[in-house]
Amino acid sequence: MSEVSTAGRTGLFRPLSTAGAVATVLGALLPWATFVFNEGPYPAKATLQFFDAPFALSGFRLHLMLFGLAALVVGFTRLPGRGRVLRALGWGVLAVSAVNTVFLISNGGGFGAVSASDGAFAFGCYVGLAGGALLVADNWHASAEPLPRWKFSLPLWAAWLVLLVSFGAVLLLVAATLTAGGLGGAADPYAGPVFLSFLGAAGGLLGGLHGTGLLSWIGELSEKHRLFSVLVLLLCALGLPLTSAGNEYWMTVAANIGVYAATAIGLNIVVGLAGLLDLGYVAFMGIGAFVAANLSGAAASALGIHVPFLLAAVIAAVIAGIFGVIVGSPTLRVRGDYLAIVTLAFGEIFRRAAQNNIGGLTGGANAIPNIPQVELFGLEFNNPVTIGGLQLPGGVLYYFLIVLLVALTMVAFGNLKNSRIGRAWIAIREDEDVARAMGIRTGKAKILAFLTGATLAGLAGAVFAHKTATVSYESFQFLESVTLLAAVILGGMGTIPGAVLGAALLFVLPEKLREFSDYRLLLFGLALVLIMRFRPQGLVPDRHRRAELVAEDVELPAAPKEATA
Amino acid sequence: MSSAPALQAREVSMVFGGLRALNNVSLELAKGQIVGLIGPNGAGKTTFFNCLTGLYTPTSGQVLLGGTQLPGDPAEVTTAGLARTFQNIRLFPSMTVLENVLIGRHVRMKQGPLSSLLHGPAFQRGERAARERARELLDFVGLSRVEDELSRNLPYGDQRRLEIARALATDPSVLLLDEPTAGMNPQETEAARQLIFRIRDTGISVVVIEHDTKFIFTLCDRVTVLVQGELLVEGTPEEVRGDPRVVEAYLGKPPEEVQAVVEEITHGSAEGASGE
Repeated sequence: MSEVSTAGRTGLFRPLSTAGAVATVLGALLPWATFVFNEGPYPAKATLQFFDAPFALSGFRLHLMLFGLAALVVGFTRLPGRGRVLRALGWGVLAVSAVNTVFLISNGGGFGAVSASDGAFAFGCYVGLAGGALLVADNWHASAEPLPRWKFSLPLWAAWLVLLVSFGAVLLLVAATLTAGGLGGAADPYAGPVFLSFLGAAGGLLGGLHGTGLLSWIGELSEKHRLFSVLVLLLCALGLPLTSAGNEYWMTVAANIGVYAATAIGLNIVVGLAGLLDLGYVAFMGIGAFVAANLSGAAASALGIHVPFLLAAVIAAVIAGIFGVIVGSPTLRVRGDYLAIVTLAFGEIFRRAAQNNIGGLTGGANAIPNIPQVELFGLEFNNPVTIGGLQLPGGVLYYFLIVLLVALTMVAFGNLKNSRIGRAWIAIREDEDVARAMGIRTGKAKILAFLTGATLAGLAGAVFAHKTATVSYESFQFLESVTLLAAVILGGMGTIPGAVLGAALLFVLPEKLREFSDYRLLLFGLALVLIMRFRPQGLVPDRHRRAELVAEDVELPAAPKEATA
Repeated sequence: MSSAPALQAREVSMVFGGLRALNNVSLELAKGQIVGLIGPNGAGKTTFFNCLTGLYTPTSGQVLLGGTQLPGDPAEVTTAGLARTFQNIRLFPSMTVLENVLIGRHVRMKQGPLSSLLHGPAFQRGERAARERARELLDFVGLSRVEDELSRNLPYGDQRRLEIARALATDPSVLLLDEPTAGMNPQETEAARQLIFRIRDTGISVVVIEHDTKFIFTLCDRVTVLVQGELLVEGTPEEVRGDPRVVEAYLGKPPEEVQAVVEEITHGSAEGASGE
């Protein structure tokens, strides 16, 4: 293994990488724009210090500086996986530089903003871009290096400590990502670029750590201490209100992400495990939401009865599940494309029915407004709470509820996947005829997949109804189904972290990038195309798909690429 | 034990549109026997297998396993104790070797949806037992070392053996092997023969489709020859090998000078040739 990593590129000194690292550091120090940003429309929000303090290092320039220094140091060491680290840092530098360059050019008055004019020189962005490009280009074939594997084992307390620290770091990273760039929209026109810039830096950092083998090692460690990891992860999730994201606004955003993450995990059962393409999935969430709304005692609801939340949620889940069976039944007859069309039609039927207030249950265009907040154990869920001496913001109880919901769906997904039923689903996805020949009742199994997915979506819908207080057919459009599907595919089919990450990305990005809202779908599409091209297995691939990847990685050095070079 | 044959097909016919793929084919397999099914390409061997395992519903005829009639659904047939492999290997490519065998265990496991959701103690017991049995079978076919490998990454011969292990995991009383040695070298073929003998020794009856007549004649207790959907000859390897109709079916009616060569190839005896 080690001879592979050092073969060909043994030299300690890598001129191109070093040049890239130096350029990155220089880029961070150079001025980036020829104008003073404080004269912009929101002087108080001038978080991007481009010109007024040319040599002050903060924000994205600090990130670039650190990346440059890291690349410089790593370039002169024999760190295993060095190429991977350098390449990831390069991508990070490239992303940060590109985001800020595009922003300066588009918002700062064209190329004049990023070049020499009026006696002011500003090509920090060009130098940064060049640095990133050099780092990436010089390590383009780093995938040929095997991913370093850390072999040493730790005593129990040390392992737990490592896991605690790692998950704590994840919590801080999540909080920082959520709050990066502030509220966005009219409140802060710079929010989008700041957020994207932060995302680029975080991606580069994580990629670099992955390149050293650290993340895989922590992954293995957490696999080994699974129960402990799950508990810590749950604690970390519950700890989000204590971080910088601990105000009502971010709690609402996080709760919304959670609802869609839970729904995406449900969809992941249908699409990721059983391989049944469902294009109308959000309808099940809608059914759950409308059932809960009608049982909430809201003035506009048709039934006008008030059922306690927990019971209402269970009823919503059951009814959504029944619809799941109804929609799933045609899957016995149709496969592949035809199934997709059947589910698409179901989604449309649901939306049209809800729009036209069929049965008087959906409120039609008026929706069902003023759904009362959840009350459990004497707690009103919209209010801030004080636990001990801790002041927690409003909406935090919904956030806790949704964390529990996501945890519940995760357990359901994980348990089902590693069982007789889950294996049967995967077998059906792989080869339905053979699955039948192996004794699997494929019809039953497929309906069960639809039933489970729909039940989970219905549960999420019930929480969604109370959380948003208004349930309208507009929340359950075809686009939402597609976005959920995109979340599953983007994150990685058949995995839990994949679905959560995908849902988080797809529902945070619009929140953050409001100034691009006209181009939102365009950007989504572009991102999906790029991911399908360069990382078809998704951001967090399934163990099996990862195994395929490892196999490919091992094969690469043997390829005749060296011979032609 | 009961006198009912392990597997009995009675006058099975299969018609696709205007094409009569099988015409009143019967087959009987005693307990612990290995029966070979040979015939030229397109003779209907795999179609016959598909009729036995419920992938096709025969136009007419009956299939009995241990004296009871088999239902016409592949899943039910497997549950009843008839397992098969496929001519063109059909593993679950993105599942590991062990998981492939566990799929075979599916019909013998009891866990329902609720138990799978909750992972209670009974679930854990069942899961452990299934894994243990799957590992035993991998050991039996000689694939223990690669249990965590993706099945698609296995070499060709190992994929064939994995298919056999997966079929055995369903605890069959009768195993149908569709060309188990296709594409194998002589050593692998010999290993396959030993494996089939060992399977037979565990009390499972075996039906083998194969083109390699030498392999069939040295492996099987009885041989059935299918030609154009019809049963041509049935008997012991010696009887079948000596039957001129078999040679004719494979090669057409040969001219005198070729016939001698043909006999050598098919190991035909002098009496068989002179009988014509």
